[in-house]
Amino acid sequence: MSTIAAAPATSRVSIRRARVLGIVFMALGFAAAWWFGFGSESGLDSTFGLNSRSSEVDLPPLALPSRETALLLAAICVFLGAIQLTRGFGKQANLILGVAVGCFILAFLVWAARDDSLNMVGMLQSTLLRSVPITLGALSGLLCERSGVINIAIEGMMLTAAFMGAIVGSAAGSTWVGLILAVLAGGLLGALLAVLSIRYRVDQIVGGTVINILALGLTSYLSAQILARYQNLNSPGRFPVIEIPLLSDIPIIGPMLFANNLFIYLMFILVIGINIALFRSRWGLRVRAVGEHPKAADTVGIKVLGVRYRNVILGGMVAGLAGAYFTLGSVGRFDENMTGGRGFIALAAMIFGRWNPIGAFGAALVFGFADSLQNTLAILQVPIASEFLLMAPYIATILVVAGVVGRARPPAADGQLYIKE
Amino acid sequence: MPGDGIRAFKEEYLRMRMKWFAALFMVLALFVAACAEEDEPTDAGGDNGAEETDNSDFLACQVTDTGGVDDRSFNQTAYKGLEDAEDEFGIEIQVLESQNPNDFEPNIQSLIQQDCDIIVTVGFLLGDATAAAAEANPDKLFAIVDFDFFDADAGEDISFDNVKELTFATDEAAFLAGYVAAGTTETGKLGTYGGINIPTVTIFMDGFQAGMEHFNSENGGDVVLEGWDSANPEGGLFTGDFENQDNGRQVTETLLGEDVDIVMPVAGPVGLGSAAAVQDAGEGSLVWVDTDGCVSVEEFCDLFLTSVMKNMDVAVFTAVEEALNDEFEGGLYTGTLENEGVGIAPFHEFEDTVSDDIKTQVEELRQQIIDGEVTVGQG
Repeated sequence: MSTIAAAPATSRVSIRRARVLGIVFMALGFAAAWWFGFGSESGLDSTFGLNSRSSEVDLPPLALPSRETALLLAAICVFLGAIQLTRGFGKQANLILGVAVGCFILAFLVWAARDDSLNMVGMLQSTLLRSVPITLGALSGLLCERSGVINIAIEGMMLTAAFMGAIVGSAAGSTWVGLILAVLAGGLLGALLAVLSIRYRVDQIVGGTVINILALGLTSYLSAQILARYQNLNSPGRFPVIEIPLLSDIPIIGPMLFANNLFIYLMFILVIGINIALFRSRWGLRVRAVGEHPKAADTVGIKVLGVRYRNVILGGMVAGLAGAYFTLGSVGRFDENMTGGRGFIALAAMIFGRWNPIGAFGAALVFGFADSLQNTLAILQVPIASEFLLMAPYIATILVVAGVVGRARPPAADGQLYIKE
Repeated sequence: MPGDGIRAFKEEYLRMRMKWFAALFMVLALFVAACAEEDEPTDAGGDNGAEETDNSDFLACQVTDTGGVDDRSFNQTAYKGLEDAEDEFGIEIQVLESQNPNDFEPNIQSLIQQDCDIIVTVGFLLGDATAAAAEANPDKLFAIVDFDFFDADAGEDISFDNVKELTFATDEAAFLAGYVAAGTTETGKLGTYGGINIPTVTIFMDGFQAGMEHFNSENGGDVVLEGWDSANPEGGLFTGDFENQDNGRQVTETLLGEDVDIVMPVAGPVGLGSAAAVQDAGEGSLVWVDTDGCVSVEEFCDLFLTSVMKNMDVAVFTAVEEALNDEFEGGLYTGTLENEGVGIAPFHEFEDTVSDDIKTQVEELRQQIIDGEVTVGQG
């Protein structure tokens, strides 16, 4: 009975939602046409550079008529909206929403670059690079939270690992040793968080916050005491760019995906690996069971606390990898608070990505894109306050959390103690 | 008895563990001792220097901005002023680092309670906190780097008797750097970015741009600047803080992607991210700011075309000296090319890259700016 009664209610909701989406698509289209199509004088060209600095093949830049291109993109949005309103995309609606937003942003870029040029490949490359620490941090968060432990100490773990990577890497004269120690340092803080929140039942938010504060204080103190005095302990070097033969010669995507340093390849491997492990393996099933309903998991013989310990330590190690990216992948030295809040953005990415590795990567790309877009617009001298662009991804996160674009639901036992009876 | 065996094993195990702990502690203790020993000679040296007049009861203190005292740039230079004063006069110094803007006020307060004889606050962002503390404690002496008090309500410049405002006409030096960069670029594009959009940052960019434009008009060049336009101060390129070096690296890669070959980061340690980017790119060069990059970050010396120096150490040192000798006067100090409060660094490894013409022209320009024949900005 109840299922029959419930069915029309949900479909009514989804019909309303489908209509709203259709109207949103059309609104995006009209806004794009008004601002970006008619906003640029006709006869101007937008030039997009397609070469990365590292690419072998020189592609001619792509010059598009600004007004016409923006209008075309706007028309696609309106067209999608019309289909959504009449026929409906059904389950694909969220995907189409992505396409519509993408068209809107492209139209915006065409408008911003009118009578000017911008390096498209460079921008996408920077998007990907900026997303690396965020993705890895988000993976760390979701490994913990899928097993029911909230990890807001990602930032502290990253910072400590960055410090360890720099100092050990310099002392040992090897970036690899630095990387391993950084990952271990992250794991150690993960273990600390696990002991605090599982063994001593400290509130998980409080435990995480304490670790963040501890990490910031400790690394700042040690860097002032040791690194400032012994400069040679703060030059671990950086991992070189590894170009994958043949693949890196593909125009546009070659230099973007296949000519990067170790961390980007590791990120891809981890995103795919964790996704498979979490949803296609026995280990993943157990982890999710512990995160959703620990009592049930316990009843069938899964060691709830053991799974939690293991996952939090694993999560710490992934955060350690994210930290190592800063010192060993990007800058090649440590400085106070150099992670600059990326660990917290990673948390947002995890939620935006709905506790799913692929989703988290997508969310991190959105955040990375916003950062990189903001830079590009500043270079193009677009008169929009940069703060607004930097805000955009967070507004999107709030919308996701509030359930506007589908529902983001944390694991049911997330943050809850499990005490065996 | 298996139980006995286990107990014996346990005891053995515990003893082993004790030994390990003892060994570990000894290593730690040695380490600490070694560190402490290293400190002693400098302390002793300080005391020796103070034999003639004992100034050890004079306490000079500093509150840093969020970059930290070892930022290779801004806070560090100001701190060097204090250290120089310590070496020279044998006074005591103390520094409190601010981790975030919420620390500014409590840090100043705790230094007031520690009876500091002069409190140096470093950075534009500490302006309001310093003004409030100076007003509440008229018997305390302050020196603030990079802030000129201004009463926005009354619309007039103000000053306190107990605060010295150490400001710098950085645009004069940046003007020279912009001229050199414009004369050296191969792609015809210069780039710059800042940490936060505040006047003490943008003054570098204004001067840099003005210098470049001066080069263009003198030599009929068409060098352009990406990342800043004095006419559109809202739209500049900023990373948003003075900490996230990865951000600096990404911003620099974006600039390099737009064919820029000389970048001036005005973002304290964030600029080190630029150094990493330029080093990995294997092309391009940087203009460092605040200090001579070849001295403060020698490992990247081969990347620095020149540096826009803001000699905060000298200004801080002088303020402390005046306070020590009871000659302190509140009010405004402005470092200029003329009094060598600002300047550009030698070209170091770029000595051969920068043409002799440019070198002589820069020398002439320096004199013209001092004489007021060339103005460096809107004024």
